[in-house]
Amino acid sequence: MKGVRLSKGARAGALLFGFAALIGLLIFAVAGYLRTSPPTVSVGASSSGSVNLVMQTDGAVGVGPHPSWVGYFVQDASGAWHQTTLIQLPQNTDVHVTLYEYDSGGNLRNSAWSKIEGTAGGVAYINGTAESVVNPNTNTGNGIAHTFNVPALGINVPMYGVSGSAKNFCSTGPCNTSQAHNTITFSFHTGGAGIFRWQCFVPCGLGYLEGNGGPMQNLGYMAGFLKVV
Amino acid sequence: MAIDFSQETKSGSSGAAAHKSSIFQPSIITGMVGGGLGFLFGHWAGNAIGGGYQQVVGSGQNDIAIVLGYLFAVVGWFAGLGALNYPLKKMLGFEPENVEHISEPGWGKYFRYTTDHKVVGVQYLFGMLVYFFTAGLLALAIRTELLSPTHHIWGPDTYLEIVGEHGTMMMMMMTSVVLGPFGNYVIPLMIGSKKVAFPRLEAASFWFTPISYFILLSALWQGGFQSGWTSYAPLSVQQGVGQDGYIFGFGLQGLSMICAGTNIVVTIINYRAPGMTWGRLNVMGWSMVSLGFTMILSVPVLIDGLYVLTLDRTAQTSLLYGAHGGSSFLWENLFWFFGHPEVYLLAIPGFGMVAEIVPVFARKPVFGYKTAAAGMIGLAILSFFVWQHHLFQSGMNPDMRPLFMLTTELISIPTGFIYLVGMGTLWRARIRLTVPMLFMLGVYFNFLFGGVTGVYVSDVPINVTVHGSFFVMAHFHYTIMGGVIFAFFGAIYYYTPLVTGYQLSEKLGKIHFWSMIIAFNSTFLPLFAVGLLGQPRRVFEYAARLQTLNDWVSISSYVLGLSLTFFVVTWMWQIVVTRKKSVRDPWSSRSLEWHVDSYPPPPYNFETIPVVVAGPYEYADPDALPMADIVVANAGRDVARESVR
Repeated sequence: MKGVRLSKGARAGALLFGFAALIGLLIFAVAGYLRTSPPTVSVGASSSGSVNLVMQTDGAVGVGPHPSWVGYFVQDASGAWHQTTLIQLPQNTDVHVTLYEYDSGGNLRNSAWSKIEGTAGGVAYINGTAESVVNPNTNTGNGIAHTFNVPALGINVPMYGVSGSAKNFCSTGPCNTSQAHNTITFSFHTGGAGIFRWQCFVPCGLGYLEGNGGPMQNLGYMAGFLKVV
Repeated sequence: MAIDFSQETKSGSSGAAAHKSSIFQPSIITGMVGGGLGFLFGHWAGNAIGGGYQQVVGSGQNDIAIVLGYLFAVVGWFAGLGALNYPLKKMLGFEPENVEHISEPGWGKYFRYTTDHKVVGVQYLFGMLVYFFTAGLLALAIRTELLSPTHHIWGPDTYLEIVGEHGTMMMMMMTSVVLGPFGNYVIPLMIGSKKVAFPRLEAASFWFTPISYFILLSALWQGGFQSGWTSYAPLSVQQGVGQDGYIFGFGLQGLSMICAGTNIVVTIINYRAPGMTWGRLNVMGWSMVSLGFTMILSVPVLIDGLYVLTLDRTAQTSLLYGAHGGSSFLWENLFWFFGHPEVYLLAIPGFGMVAEIVPVFARKPVFGYKTAAAGMIGLAILSFFVWQHHLFQSGMNPDMRPLFMLTTELISIPTGFIYLVGMGTLWRARIRLTVPMLFMLGVYFNFLFGGVTGVYVSDVPINVTVHGSFFVMAHFHYTIMGGVIFAFFGAIYYYTPLVTGYQLSEKLGKIHFWSMIIAFNSTFLPLFAVGLLGQPRRVFEYAARLQTLNDWVSISSYVLGLSLTFFVVTWMWQIVVTRKKSVRDPWSSRSLEWHVDSYPPPPYNFETIPVVVAGPYEYADPDALPMADIVVANAGRDVARESVR
């Protein structure tokens, strides 16, 4: 390093190499982190003009950088589960949603979220029973685990929790239907194209102040987008 | 007459002979190794301490491990750099070897802990450029997302992480962007000193910044912090471990500011050459004194706030959480008691740099020298009485709002002093439109927009309307980027001959200036309209009717990015490859820093301490004495020397 005299060409080469390395580093950073996002599961249009969307909510996703966070899995056309909250749907289509809820629940902090809205008929079927208003202290007695809210489409569907002490409680996702769960089904209409944010409104970020951090504010866990195309 | 202090100074704490260097010598490499080992140890200890708590198990994150990891990483970093060798040996009763790389040839000294203020200045210059361009790229990422109100490049969480990282990095960097490179390099030369008062403190002030940068940047890979650069509680309390990167990054930068501020104040007070009275001190010197005192008094409050936030996140105290007996106002007040003086930490050195350079190219004395100094001091003092104007919408006592509105509007008086000093200096001057001068004129142009809109946003009724909108964002970008960053680039063009011995191309510099000022205004001027039309900051979606304006802004920001890239490429090319040697005193400045034996200046600046006999700005007086009785060793010969030898 000391006393080395480089020729003009060598200095130019070193500088150009430095610039190239810098650009490579930037591409690595952007591609390696900033553009990293959960996969988008596409639900294709069927001939009947409706589609089926199958999802599950788990008490702990069990994979990725935050395995202990609550989160969603979405099933693709082949039946495989993907840990994501990005869903692509066709426009002007009826979407029949089946949600398997495997997490435990608690009281709703805001009773406004107890009313089922934005779905066909204003109802959801909880384990086969139609309900328009949920009550955390009735039905299963296990409170409300999460809500599925799409504010721009006016959708609010609260989900009853399961008993956290159930012998077959699912501790890590993706869970299967042999484990304790509630099945919630409902339908909604997509309307025109657009990107619609959806979110759980039950503060379920365990370990975070008031439960509002962590999975509540990150894609792939309790927040996502419906991409209607 | 010249007084020779050289023997006395060279035997002082900064004295050192050249010595052999090797890769095993303390350097940035050993620092990184030490930092890495320190992090691993701290992380292990943190897991041992906090790993079993339900809160940790439930959330899957252990802030104690991250915080202790960072803490020990800092200790390991400084130990690896060799910064602790001298004080530890002293404490243990040994006489340490003076290994301080003052006279060491080659590039090695720029990667070591050194007590040569000029080396520290160069380290700062490159360090701050890395900071600036990283944060600038994040700004382009923000603008890319805002190209469309509906089509998204980043997720909303990633977008907020980018915004938080950009804001924090810029605000950290800006505090040191003038003081670090130019204050450290030039001020001792300017006041006729051979060294600074606290060379180790000065070196520490720089070496806090790389680890601060890496820790802050690492937050992105740990989920970032979506609470923004202000990180209001309780949002910051409930964030993931990326928030710990914010706390440590900002805290370390705070320590850097305290070290740098203390050193520069004591240096200017105690190390001025004979005859360098306060009335002859460069305006740049006055700005540095004002800046240093403001740093020393405001930054500890930030560090206190960060400490409180750390306790809430690790020891599970509730000092910032109202429901458990604390108060989020505590953070807001601690933060802004630092945060608003910080705004002037950014502005004051920028103003000082402008006031220093404009007379050189106006060939006139500073108009109202005492007014300029009073303006700097007035800004520094008043900056401590305005912080609550950031909290007008926070639910504060409404009766307090007029008071803080008044104090905020009062601050336009010293600001006006400084502005009028500039205008007076330019009045009827024979202006030389060199590249540095163009940048300084650009500061006045941009600051007019920033300053005038500042009066509006300080007004409570208008603040209620525009708070949290892009209007405020445009305002502070005009003051900070339009002010201090333009001054920073002007200073780079101005001082490159002194620092490197090489002259830069006027033509390339002018291309950079004109493209930058046009793109800058094209980027930020429409944002006033965007804000008034209702677009909020920190939201990645916006009303479709604002897309045209947003697209204009985003495309302009890319042009701004290209202009800055043009600067990097051409500037580096000229100082690394083409290397056109500078002539002596290329700008015909009277100031002492240009009247040294060689460019770059020799290790101890002056062979003999100069005796100052006149002021630095007496350009209009043909009979004015030179500023100092100074002996230049090779006057009339080639002044540029190889900086790497």
